[in-house]
Amino acid sequence: MFGKWRISFALSVAAITVTAFGAWHTLRPTEDAQSNVMAPASEGPKSPADRLESRFASEVRPFVQRYCFECHGPKEPKADLDLSRDGTMTVVRGNMSAWSMVLERLQANEMPPEDATRQPSSAERAAVVSWLRDLQRFEAEQMEGTAAPVLARRLSNAEYDYTIRDLTGVDIRPARTFPVDPANEAGFDNSGESLTMSPALVKKYFEAAKLVAEHVVLKPEGIVFAPHSAVTDTDRDKYCVKRIIDFYHRNAVDLADYFYASWKHQHREQRGRSGENLELCATEASLSATYLAVVWKALTEGDAAGPLAVLRHEWRNLPGPDRAEAARAGCQRLRDLVVRLRQVLKPQLNKLHVKGISDGSQPLVLWHNRQLARRHRTYSGNVFADLRNLAEQLKGTDAGLADLLQVKQRDADSEQRQKDSLERFCSAFPDAFVISDRGPYFDPKGAGKGRPLTAGFHLMQGYFRDDEPLCDLILNEGLRRELDALWFELNFITQAPERQYKDFIFFERAEPPRFMREAEFDFARSEDKDATTPDKISRLAKAYLTKARKHGTSSEAESAIVSYFTDMASEIRAVERARQAAEPSHLAALVAFAERAFRRPIMDAERDDLLAFYRKLRKQDGLSHEEALRDSLVSVLLSPHFCFRFDLREPSLHRISDYELASRLSYFLWSSMPDAELLDHARAGDLHTTDVLTTQMRRMLHDPKARGLATEFGANWLDFRRFEEYNSVDRGRFPMFTNELREAMFEEPIRYILDVVQRNRSVLDLLYGNDTFVNRPLAQHYGMPDLPAPGEWVHVEDARRYNRGGLLPMAVFLTKNAPGLRTSPVKRGYWVVRRLLGETIPPPPPTVPELPSDEAKLGDLTLSQVLARHRADKNCAACHRRFDSVGLVFEKYGPVGELRAKDLGGHPVQTVATFPDGVERDGLPGLQAYLRAKRQKDFIDNLCRKLFSYALGRSLLASDKKVLEDIRIRLETDGYAFGSLVEAIVLSPQFQNNRGHDESRKR
Amino acid sequence: MKSQANRISRRTLLKGVGVSMALPWLEAIPFHADEAVSGSAPPKRFAVLFMGNGISPNNWWAKGAGASIELSKSLQPLASLRPNLNVITGLFNKNATGVGIHPGQTGNILSGAALQKGSVLRGGTSVDQLLAVHFEEDTAQPSLVLGCEQPITGYHETNFSMAYSSHISWKDASSPVPMEVYPSLAFDSLFDNQGSRRTSSILDRVKEQTVALESKVSHGDKAKLDEYLTSVRDVEKRVQRMRTTKDRADDKARNKGRPTLTMPRPDNGLPEDIREHMRLMCDIIALGFQTDRTRVATLLLCRDLSGLFYPFLGVRTAHHPTSHEDQSDSYERVTRYYVGQLAYLAGRLAQMKEADTTVLDNSCLMFVSNLWSGTRHDSSKVPILLVGGLGGTLATGRVLDYSGQGDENRRLCSLYLSLMRRMGVKAQRFGDATAPLAGL
Repeated sequence: MFGKWRISFALSVAAITVTAFGAWHTLRPTEDAQSNVMAPASEGPKSPADRLESRFASEVRPFVQRYCFECHGPKEPKADLDLSRDGTMTVVRGNMSAWSMVLERLQANEMPPEDATRQPSSAERAAVVSWLRDLQRFEAEQMEGTAAPVLARRLSNAEYDYTIRDLTGVDIRPARTFPVDPANEAGFDNSGESLTMSPALVKKYFEAAKLVAEHVVLKPEGIVFAPHSAVTDTDRDKYCVKRIIDFYHRNAVDLADYFYASWKHQHREQRGRSGENLELCATEASLSATYLAVVWKALTEGDAAGPLAVLRHEWRNLPGPDRAEAARAGCQRLRDLVVRLRQVLKPQLNKLHVKGISDGSQPLVLWHNRQLARRHRTYSGNVFADLRNLAEQLKGTDAGLADLLQVKQRDADSEQRQKDSLERFCSAFPDAFVISDRGPYFDPKGAGKGRPLTAGFHLMQGYFRDDEPLCDLILNEGLRRELDALWFELNFITQAPERQYKDFIFFERAEPPRFMREAEFDFARSEDKDATTPDKISRLAKAYLTKARKHGTSSEAESAIVSYFTDMASEIRAVERARQAAEPSHLAALVAFAERAFRRPIMDAERDDLLAFYRKLRKQDGLSHEEALRDSLVSVLLSPHFCFRFDLREPSLHRISDYELASRLSYFLWSSMPDAELLDHARAGDLHTTDVLTTQMRRMLHDPKARGLATEFGANWLDFRRFEEYNSVDRGRFPMFTNELREAMFEEPIRYILDVVQRNRSVLDLLYGNDTFVNRPLAQHYGMPDLPAPGEWVHVEDARRYNRGGLLPMAVFLTKNAPGLRTSPVKRGYWVVRRLLGETIPPPPPTVPELPSDEAKLGDLTLSQVLARHRADKNCAACHRRFDSVGLVFEKYGPVGELRAKDLGGHPVQTVATFPDGVERDGLPGLQAYLRAKRQKDFIDNLCRKLFSYALGRSLLASDKKVLEDIRIRLETDGYAFGSLVEAIVLSPQFQNNRGHDESRKR
Repeated sequence: MKSQANRISRRTLLKGVGVSMALPWLEAIPFHADEAVSGSAPPKRFAVLFMGNGISPNNWWAKGAGASIELSKSLQPLASLRPNLNVITGLFNKNATGVGIHPGQTGNILSGAALQKGSVLRGGTSVDQLLAVHFEEDTAQPSLVLGCEQPITGYHETNFSMAYSSHISWKDASSPVPMEVYPSLAFDSLFDNQGSRRTSSILDRVKEQTVALESKVSHGDKAKLDEYLTSVRDVEKRVQRMRTTKDRADDKARNKGRPTLTMPRPDNGLPEDIREHMRLMCDIIALGFQTDRTRVATLLLCRDLSGLFYPFLGVRTAHHPTSHEDQSDSYERVTRYYVGQLAYLAGRLAQMKEADTTVLDNSCLMFVSNLWSGTRHDSSKVPILLVGGLGGTLATGRVLDYSGQGDENRRLCSLYLSLMRRMGVKAQRFGDATAPLAGL
């Protein structure tokens, strides 16, 4: 029962030298340290302090000696609590948190225990209780307005994950494998009191840091973090290829957009935009002006025959300016038509063959790819044959259009005219803007099988870039540069050219037809480190060409071979040079990373030290650049400047620095590190000004990262933090409780709280709100007829119709507070009074009989009847009358929060209960009426207390009482808006100040 | 710096010509009680030797039992190890059948997982890596993942990535374990750079920073940082212990007038000769097992679709094309040469005394290929050789044939499950197996 005491000692205001090793008595303040505590209050013989002191000597100390020392004396004190040491009031004052516990136990008649040798009279007990209360009041007055010290603390697991997310830009969540953080007295896991460190955790930190460092990608300029680890070739390939493919997707061309813009431009006068030029038209539609001009020209200028004539015919037949929707649809049909016709005109290209060389070999495949890449906008077919094929293509669907392709006279003039039009058509409408997926060499049509950017070699890895039409027609200068950079980064990061060339050596030597089988090729070994030196490449080029010539190659093939070796050599060299040149930028990025990780400017000495460490790793430990950089990064993440938050010592109570304030603010509202804007204000030194601070606070509450507050504060306060892993539901009996539903239940209160946070709603909505948020599984569970689309969350304004709305009837709480096969009014009620109203209720005695675990086994009684019996027992009643009734009104909701009319035993549910104030009320509305009438202040008090404690990262103390009262008043006068609660906290001296612990001890 | 000094002394020590004389395992331990391996049983080890493209089917069989097992031509290198041997045929990997040839038959040889085509890799964690996690806390290096041939990553005509042909060890479904092909770096990973020394460097720096910071914070915060410092020191001590075990083992052996097994650090770069390469990799595994710096190793002797050459066997064509004629004398010689690598490693371990046994007695070396017949690209059964008694948990001197026993009863993953359990992993299932291999 006294297990908690040890912790609370560590929390004590004066027990400052707290350590995790925690033998509390060694930490107890000495009398010396406390000697001047009385000074400020000692104003004369009859000062309040003196009166308290004398009452302590005459009433309290003798009481403790007589009734407590048996267990809590110097000899093997129970629960490590030795009250004999607290011989004067001075010492008691240094130990307030332990004595608060003593007060609670005395008040609750829990101590001394029933079997103690001596029991105090109720008058004796009352005297001590009253003295302790007076002392608390006295303490509060003395300490009023001063900030208690906030201990240095490591990041909590949740903060660690969020911080890594914001530091790297990728959500790695390395803390998943950390041991669960303990909570402090207030129920939060974000305070120095509870966040201890251990070797096991350091090992986890180490692994986490290494994991994060594994995500680092070294770029030609700086570093970036991949969403997955990027150590192996395959992972790096995946990362780089995806970025290019994403770029292509973002910049995909839809011809319909260009036709539609042209249509709008054509009707510019009717649209009242007679002065509009084509460029403006492109800009407004976010299209490429270059390409819109090309399309416009094809549609409107010059002679048109063949497919161009077909296109113009259809274009002219688009609906008029008053029918935009229909025109839009027409443009889509136009696009499909062009794509179909253009397919027919695709260039036909024969492959290059060389005797003895595989068709899938690199020089030949690359030659073929290059030829095709050059021909996306050219026409080189047989004019009349192609026109016939085009007509054939149209016959089935658009016979009228096919007629437009009829050529009456087949003379040279006509052929030239047709050819010109075909060329213009092909040039304006490339057969592809980008080839992002290529089939294997033996099956060019086999593209689309998830081999993005591949060159199509046999067995060998290799990429091929083919996006000239996109670059020429669509991309602006900036985007072109971005794309060039992405392609170069592919080579740089994955060392693609070197790997490709080594594969070439392997393939040509080993795989049929084994062109390089002879002894003269034996010097070329892909496994040799020098395989890619300029000498070896040119030696191989020579030998390869010599043999090819012997076999009789075409000049085309010869030049394909020559350019293969030249290109490979230059690409390999380019990457090599760039890798050398990039090292300084990586070091600069490392320093910048450290600065962000430390959440403050990095000092010169720190920077030098970090770089010296990197150099030592390279020189002394012989690591490569990349290894040394990764290890340096790991050291940054293990640095106490990253994983701890602390306040540099100052001699007295002081305003914390703006950088510290930035961190306090961001860890309060986001559970994560400050962003650039906050740090900018810290740098400017104006973050602490009321204006800036409140503006920033409001901005932060609107940021999506405020979800950190909703989750970490909300879920710890309301005790559903680990519901995502909740497994105490019998899924055989409750098949609806799927993982998706469980996830949705967890999400509901987070969304709700986040909505209160972001829309600055009244905190009373948490209790009385009519609305809630549901996704499909949850809406189904709640019996709502309108199901949201899969994957979507919707706001249900009037959830009361479905007996939901606000926190109270949320399935997550109803489920978590039900032991599986029955509901538990006890647990549900206890949750309401403890979590929402902040009542402390002592734990039940060990002799309590268990209720059957299954409602169906209660026999003829309902749960409510069973509980009524139980309240008839005097021992239980004292506590249970405080919450059983509050829980009973939830009987309409089953063990997984589902609505029900009968319990599992088949009895109609009973939701009428007599509340602690003696009034009988029914169901959830009854509970809400009770809360509104009798308990609203308790709720507000508790919420303020909890949020304040969470914001400060420490338990509250007597000295916080006054400010807490101010915060509450502010909240009430501002119509209970959540934002004013946060503002009052942020502007409080407690939030903005800190004191050196050494100082506070001397007070 | 201390670590530097250690390294120099070890290097010096290792300079001598390698003499293979076993250091009894029990003497190699622990000067501190907390280093002692719990219980008295020597640790169990597991190594995989992989050969790509199948074996020589006509020359791969065994008959009888115990020391008198009759061995086919390709298995002759194992003649002296017959009492330690299990020849197992008929096992198969369901997901490596019916998916087309080569990479799809290889990337799951140690996981039994179904593989995904295209550029996105997806398979399963391999048995060696599960064991590596199991022994993570006990050894300096959770596993050695070695290869004698570089991986490649193009596409095969089946549209499987060639990465599946190149990697048998997978740390999770999407990432192969980076494979070490340089013997020098593999050696370092056991005794030098890769693991413990890098860790020490980082922890040193963290300590320095923490100490420096302590002087700047208040008394109460200092307590918090002290807690951190103490924890970091504790982790570092563990690392230091791992690092110095070899040095102390060497010292102790020398004091007793017995040379420990030593091998000089291999030269940088890749050995010119594949024979030298394979021998060095086997030596490194032997050294890792003997000194208990690792208990799990995989060695990809060659990948699937291998481009290795064997001029010393009188074979001019590369491995893969040679395997297409698996009835040929050439391929029989290649196969026998690979079995010889297993025999070599087993021989090394057999010479290493460990209490009353040898390291081989406490190990299980598994030889496996992805195919039975390279000519037919047949993976309907795979060849398996096991050498070593795995600490008395595995009977040896047997020939086990599971052909014709029904697919349910001849799963390769059942074999892995059996071995994992014998090594202390409490797994109910692995890959496609839900039961251990009957009769093993």
